[in-house]
Amino acid sequence: MEITALSQPTVAAQLRALWIIAKKDWKVFWRYPLNAVSHVFQPIIWVTPVYFMGKAFSTNGQALGFAQYSGTGDYMSYVLLGTALSNFILTVFWGMGFALKEDMDAGVLESNWLTPVSRLHILVGRTLTSLLTTTITSLIMLAVSALLFGFRPTGNVVAAILTAIPMLIGLYGFGFAFAGIVLLMREANTLVDVSSFLVQGFSGANFPVKSLPYWLIPVSLMLPLTYGFDAVRGFLLKTSTLFPLNVEVTILIVFMFVMLWFGAWIFNRIERKVRTLGTLGQH
Amino acid sequence: MSDLAIEASQLVKKFPAKPGTGDKPSEGGSAPPPKRKLFPFGKKEPNAMFTAVDGVDLQIQRGEIFGLLGPNGAGKSTTIRMLCTLLEPTSGTARVNGFDVVRQANDVRRSLGTVLAGERSIYWKLSGRENLEYFAALYHIPPAIAKKRVEELLERMEIKDRANELVEKYSTGMRQRIAIAKALLARPPILLLDEPTLGLDPQAARNLRELIAQLKREGHTILLTTHYMEEADQLSDRIGIIDTGKVIALDTPEGLKRRIDQQEIIRLEVIGWQEYIGDKLRALSEVSNLVARKQGEADLWEVNMQSNNSRAVLPKLVENIGQNGTRLVNMNIVKPSLEDVFIHLTGKALRD
Amino acid sequence: MEATLSPQSLGKPGLASDLRAFWAIVNREWTIFKRYPSWIIALLIWPLIFPMMYILTARALSGVDGSGMTVFTQTTGATNYIGYIVIGTTVWMWQNIVLWDVGFALRNEQMRGTLESNWLSPTWRFSYLLGHTGPQIITMTTFILITAVEFGLIFGVRLNGNPWLALLIMLASIPAIYGLGFAFASIVITAKEAHTFVFLVRGLVMIFCGITFPVSLLPGWMQSIAEWMPQTYMIHGMRSAAFANASFADLLPDLKALLLFGAFWLTLGYLLFNWMERRARQTGAIGQY
Repeated sequence: MEITALSQPTVAAQLRALWIIAKKDWKVFWRYPLNAVSHVFQPIIWVTPVYFMGKAFSTNGQALGFAQYSGTGDYMSYVLLGTALSNFILTVFWGMGFALKEDMDAGVLESNWLTPVSRLHILVGRTLTSLLTTTITSLIMLAVSALLFGFRPTGNVVAAILTAIPMLIGLYGFGFAFAGIVLLMREANTLVDVSSFLVQGFSGANFPVKSLPYWLIPVSLMLPLTYGFDAVRGFLLKTSTLFPLNVEVTILIVFMFVMLWFGAWIFNRIERKVRTLGTLGQH
Repeated sequence: MSDLAIEASQLVKKFPAKPGTGDKPSEGGSAPPPKRKLFPFGKKEPNAMFTAVDGVDLQIQRGEIFGLLGPNGAGKSTTIRMLCTLLEPTSGTARVNGFDVVRQANDVRRSLGTVLAGERSIYWKLSGRENLEYFAALYHIPPAIAKKRVEELLERMEIKDRANELVEKYSTGMRQRIAIAKALLARPPILLLDEPTLGLDPQAARNLRELIAQLKREGHTILLTTHYMEEADQLSDRIGIIDTGKVIALDTPEGLKRRIDQQEIIRLEVIGWQEYIGDKLRALSEVSNLVARKQGEADLWEVNMQSNNSRAVLPKLVENIGQNGTRLVNMNIVKPSLEDVFIHLTGKALRD
Repeated sequence: MEATLSPQSLGKPGLASDLRAFWAIVNREWTIFKRYPSWIIALLIWPLIFPMMYILTARALSGVDGSGMTVFTQTTGATNYIGYIVIGTTVWMWQNIVLWDVGFALRNEQMRGTLESNWLSPTWRFSYLLGHTGPQIITMTTFILITAVEFGLIFGVRLNGNPWLALLIMLASIPAIYGLGFAFASIVITAKEAHTFVFLVRGLVMIFCGITFPVSLLPGWMQSIAEWMPQTYMIHGMRSAAFANASFADLLPDLKALLLFGAFWLTLGYLLFNWMERRARQTGAIGQY
């Protein structure tokens, strides 16, 4: 008696799979309510010592030393915007690779991976949810912080958002490559911890890149995210930027395409390597 | 000083139940179907209790191997955990080696060697030898004696040549052997083994049973739980059959089988079994405890029943099977086994 | 009295064997710790990069001409802004690491399955927590030493005070920091999202204890809260001892506060442990996860 397989690989089926993965991640995220709340309040907690430190350098609420680098004395708005964007860095670094690793530890990865859905599709599906939940938590965080610390966006909101988009997409593209590396390593915690911290720092989340010692500035300039942070702030807060805004936006768009392609390519190669090494089942 | 190694009297253990699984049915009928929630936060339901062990009595003699036999979820692990002081009974008492499990817990722990959850109970980032040395210190064995004892056990468990490798590199069988060596370190008079052969390949399981028999000859008292009836039958001096938290029978293996001695067991292999046939056959007075189980993917079924007069039953069997696509493939009439005793007592199979 | 029967038990209870059991726990933790290679990187890198971010921020805030720094010196009274920040961030990191290491000591064992086999032995159960702190204190001391060396060498940070007094403050802080860890260890055993509790506690230290700023900048109600947190006194005491040339008399208030809090948290930690242990015996939480 012949058994007819029920699986039909069509574009519609692939899209449905993506949707299902996104839905699952969404549900799982909100099933850990403390974790969701933590996502909103953690950035605020980290911003607080920065706020008070800023006050220690300020007279009458204006950080004049800071203004020399950035063109504005409004240090908090500068930092809050950086923090909101940094949320995405954290999500990408911790979320992508460790989501896979968690699945691996729970034994679910293999069952997910045995399905004919392209592995990359699975990552993309998770990305959608991640983008959505992080945007929500970032916006809430900004709202709460605005109440606590004051947030004064005086510039062009639309342009800022439009600029953020290629940056975020590029960031997630990079996340694919990073996820592959995390898969390969048994103990990725330190790597993720340190690199997400350094990337945040050097992209200028908390301070203008211009203020770095001259020999560290090249590190920042090599990170595409630096231009993203700079441009978004340039539009939204009218700060002085490293390069003219249109140059920075172009860099971001190029970054986006390069990262999407590169990230997918790296991920696929590493995934194939993991299959030959047989690392998938161990943890 | 009592000469019972273990005695338990009306042990009861109740746990707070997960929502929807408590002992009593929920008030007002079934809960409404769960809404499709966008933000599914967990909702707390009122606490029901779930009775895992419902009044267990045990009297285990020194030097005997006592098997606690029952299906998954019968309460075997919970009973063992109460005896080794990990769990406090909700009510009832137990004494191990003469010490009360609640009030003299540390003395009980000193008297016991326990194997629970085999390979997870040892440190994977330590070597086999390091694991044993560590636990030897926890059991207060003086260092000079401990050293010798560790080597002795490594030798006996045949792990000596790999004793310095990390446990994470061992096979399941080897890890189980380390877990057992750990239980034997302080040379405790009483051993508790919870499903010791679970997950082992047949050869390893066989070796382990050999070891258990040997340990009895050396004077240890052993309480082991299992859901493998052959194992209980082969090893135990006496068996307690446990189901849904109660000991429903307690006797030697022979004694238990003799209970349904007048009965014969008819074992059938049938293709295309249908429920109505079972109902018809159950209606016969000479047939009792009919249990039908599907074997694997194809439509092959194993049907067991007890009969006090197989001669009378056979023609009726043949008559009812062999119609409507049902085919009799094989038939055996056998003496009862422990599994049949279990079915006789509970109406269900030991393995589900 | 135990029955005399064969086989004869080999265990000999007593103080010596209790101490040996304790030592075995310390040894075990140390051995396992060494077998996870990534600790080396963590131990070398974090002492440097974590304070660095705040130091770089401080540089940005002081401006191209350093005018911001004058304001800072006036507000904080600190002449050495790097030392000021490093002490605050190091205390924060110390508490953070203790929360993860000691706080999750029991829970990690529970997840692995080894908590049960430890619990079966006749060893005094609080030893498992106490024993865990042994290797922890060694690694933290190394961490702090590395911090001192790195900032001393790279940034030329020099002490302006009596190093022994600084050490004294650190020693006086140990009961509070580890007591909190013990309390934590007992609570998280059954907590579903235990890591968010770590985020919460270390978040409180971050907000209230003045890691990169003087507590005096906080609004009044926040200062009141800060007064109830031992880490505030740690940071204040360390800064005074290391960079403000404080005398023993100057440090006495901080020392007293630290010892009081230490006694409180150690006692609470012990009580919570006993509570958890009893509860676990009733609900069977030890074996499940």
